Amino acid sequence: MTDFPILTSLIVLPVLTALAVMLIPRRRSELVLPVAVSGSLATLGAVGWVLVGFEVGEGGFQFVERVAWYAPWGVGWHLGVDGISLVLVALTALLFPVSLAASGSITHRVRGYAASMLLLEAAIIGVFLSLDLLVFFVFWEAMLVPMYFIIGVWGGERRVHAAIKFFLYTALGSALMFAGLIALALVGGEGGPTFDFVELLGADLTRTAQTWLFLAFGVSFAVKIPVFPLHTWLPDAHVEAPTAGSVILAGVLLKLGAYGLVRFNLTLFPEAAVSLMAPMAALAVIGIVYGGIVAIVQSDVKRLVAYSSVSHLGFVLLGIVALTGPGLQGGVLQMVNHGLTTGALFLLVGMIYERRHTREIADFGGLASVMPIYAAAFLFTAFASIGLPGLNGFVGELFVLVGAFLTLPAYAVIGASGVVLAAVYLLWAYQRMFTGELRVEEDRRLGDLRIGERLILAPLLVLMLVLGLYPKPVLDRIEPSVGVVLERIERVTDHRVPEFGRVEAGP
Amino acid sequence: MNLDFLAVAPTVVLTAAVVALLLVEVQWSLGHRWWALCAVAGLGGATIAAGVQWALRRGDAGGTFFGDMIAVDGFSAFAGVVLFPLAGLGLMAAWPLARSQGRRGAEFVTLVLVASTGAHLMAASANLVMLFISLEIFSISLYVLAGFTRRRVGADEAALKYFLMGALASALFVYGVALVFAATGTTSIHGIGRYLETTLILRPSILLIGIGLVLVGFGFKVSAVPFHAWAPDVYQGAPGGITGFLASTAKVAGFAALARVLTTAFEVRVDDWAMPVAVVGAASVVIGTLLALAQPDIKRMLAYSSVSHAGFILTALVAGGGGVEAMWFYVATYAVTVVAAFGIVAVVTGPEQGRASLTEFAGLVDRSPLLAGGLALALLSMGGIPLTAGFVGKVGVFRAAIDAGFLWLVVIGVVAAVAALFFYLRVIVLMYMQPAADDGPAGPIAVPAGARFVVVASAVVTVLLGVVPWPLLNWLRDALPI
Repeated sequence: MTDFPILTSLIVLPVLTALAVMLIPRRRSELVLPVAVSGSLATLGAVGWVLVGFEVGEGGFQFVERVAWYAPWGVGWHLGVDGISLVLVALTALLFPVSLAASGSITHRVRGYAASMLLLEAAIIGVFLSLDLLVFFVFWEAMLVPMYFIIGVWGGERRVHAAIKFFLYTALGSALMFAGLIALALVGGEGGPTFDFVELLGADLTRTAQTWLFLAFGVSFAVKIPVFPLHTWLPDAHVEAPTAGSVILAGVLLKLGAYGLVRFNLTLFPEAAVSLMAPMAALAVIGIVYGGIVAIVQSDVKRLVAYSSVSHLGFVLLGIVALTGPGLQGGVLQMVNHGLTTGALFLLVGMIYERRHTREIADFGGLASVMPIYAAAFLFTAFASIGLPGLNGFVGELFVLVGAFLTLPAYAVIGASGVVLAAVYLLWAYQRMFTGELRVEEDRRLGDLRIGERLILAPLLVLMLVLGLYPKPVLDRIEPSVGVVLERIERVTDHRVPEFGRVEAGP
Repeated sequence: MNLDFLAVAPTVVLTAAVVALLLVEVQWSLGHRWWALCAVAGLGGATIAAGVQWALRRGDAGGTFFGDMIAVDGFSAFAGVVLFPLAGLGLMAAWPLARSQGRRGAEFVTLVLVASTGAHLMAASANLVMLFISLEIFSISLYVLAGFTRRRVGADEAALKYFLMGALASALFVYGVALVFAATGTTSIHGIGRYLETTLILRPSILLIGIGLVLVGFGFKVSAVPFHAWAPDVYQGAPGGITGFLASTAKVAGFAALARVLTTAFEVRVDDWAMPVAVVGAASVVIGTLLALAQPDIKRMLAYSSVSHAGFILTALVAGGGGVEAMWFYVATYAVTVVAAFGIVAVVTGPEQGRASLTEFAGLVDRSPLLAGGLALALLSMGGIPLTAGFVGKVGVFRAAIDAGFLWLVVIGVVAAVAALFFYLRVIVLMYMQPAADDGPAGPIAVPAGARFVVVASAVVTVLLGVVPWPLLNWLRDALPI
């Protein structure tokens, strides 16, 4: 391994591109998006390098960079990547060039828009890579500002309302985490405070302290995921954000909460995690069912996709809190899957909105006859999202349900109904929008997907198929890191992870 | 009597500048360029003198001089290094106001320089009587500055209110000093500390009432709840140009003096005063934030937000000596953003104006991206968003408080900090997400060079200290009172 700080460069590259974008003179604004896209493609290339250099089968952190920063506070620049963060960073790096490329309809203050997106990318990658809690929190909060502007300046009609709601919900969630992490740094460090994740693993915390810290961190992550009943910011933010904003919100931002749960809550506070399994699973299942039912009755297709995220993220949460190998692997895999499918769905919704300036399902009908390729792409994505065997959603949901069944059978059974609900809301929407007679006169003149739009969707659709047929490369990278998390839980608590395929006999 | 010219060097330089300024103006009335020259020479020289103090006297090398009246240590030197450039920034932002006053502008500049002298002496006083004198030098200059535009009734009202409340605070402070003297037999700040360390006071009620009254006096100066009622009226009534100077230096000097008194004289009694200070801090944070939410005027909003910031800084001081570094970082970076914020408000609404309705800021980004960006950054920093100095300040403050066992105070603080985002964001929404009002002023705003410099300098400091605060934090470990 070379000594080149590749992980730092993953954060620096988008920032530099953002600066470059701001330097483009106003009258050359047509250059802004190409520069931004190429900057994010360069980041994707760097992530590719990390993917190639990543040693499969290792559960620990790789490419570690560690510089002490300010010793009295125990702060350091500590970056590292393991299987879990690797796949999520790859997803982030893929979705950003795609969504930037799909931002052609933004004409107002393009420079600010592109710079916000790139800074957002840097902050998100920073969140995934930081192994220092204070630096993690800096990136976590810093993420809010560009997203707030993306929704608030370039969003839909009720954008200001949505932007403020998004900001305040998330900020309120992280406020307690902030207090919690300072307390953790002071309690957990030996000989002075430390924010270093790896050092804090050795902290000896009482059960009460663990429970409080678990809740302080957990509320913040639960808002982001979002867990019922903290989800109400999500439909507003997703619907009012511009297309690219929705793609990033659903595709990446929601994953940060689930990632934080795995990385920090399960690892740092294992006893609390074990004792809170059942209530968390209950919230997950409520999310699955509630999100699904509410999605069915939506009349706005973007809102429908937004609520479907609540349901899908319920699956992710269920897999995580089951504390089993397949459950956690499925949870992480499902994060990637949801990023691809929901990202693609939001892109598709954005494309039809640009043509018709409406998102009401009732305003469409029989689109399949005028836009066959668009209809096919929509149906393909919908199938992937529902979890049709052979596509990516199936693998993730199967793992989650199997994993959950090992420790939380009742919840798994109820959760499985989410798959049926997904079929109902997505296929019913498809049926109303795409099949039947062309009812609306305006629909007759709609053009099918342009080459550019096809190129934007292609990588996502291809990955859905590949991950559905052959998910092994991804699972191989996730599995050892998940194993590390579970091993630690088994070592310090009395929770025993049941092994899949070997049902333990009763006493 | 041990004399050290270095101890009074900043004061002497500034006084010389003041005298020169008045003589030049009376004798030749050479105009505003000469005022600027005198101000630059005075504040620049004082900054250099404070820098030399820092180089020679920080850490263990500090001492008290002139019969234990003036302390020269890392604490006072750092105060000078912050206060004098801050006064320079405030003066730059206020320059259009000074020029608009004709020949009286020279008095204006003089008063700013005198106030800076008083502010620095507050941080450097080693004796409570000396502290009282510097407090008055500082405060009286500020009362006059607040009412400087004579013809506007609002400013007169602000000045009178400020004067009456300030005089009351001073009276309580002096009474407190007298009681402390009665209990300990000395007014020397170190002397009190030594006395309390070596003597067991069986009936401490006189001492405790004295400490309480001193705290109340400072509470007025730094506008902590329940002594904050003057702040919004004064901030709103005072001419826009000078509000930034007034708000920022008052906080820095007030907290510097408070920190020295608490951690040097009364450190031994920390268990007695930590809880009242924590309660006042919590009340300031909560009430300041709640009232700021409802303000339709940006200057009033910033005034209430300054009340809540006073609460955050008190949160650091509950840790006693352990919170001084955090206090310094917070108050210094906050002061820089306040100067910029009020400077921008003054450009948008006019330097002599008192009121600054929020509606005037709608669509500001189209009229002046520089002002909108600068104000947004200052507000985000006040809100404690990461990668700005305000975030690092909050981390330090909360860390100190948790270390001292005040977790409940920190929980109140973080929740209030989020609620505060609501009104900071409201301004950003107005500037960036809403068009200018139809009947309001439109068209690009011409930004004076001084204000431009203030905005850029403040933005650079805010971002730089937000991303790499470590050098300053390292230095601050030397900025403790001896």
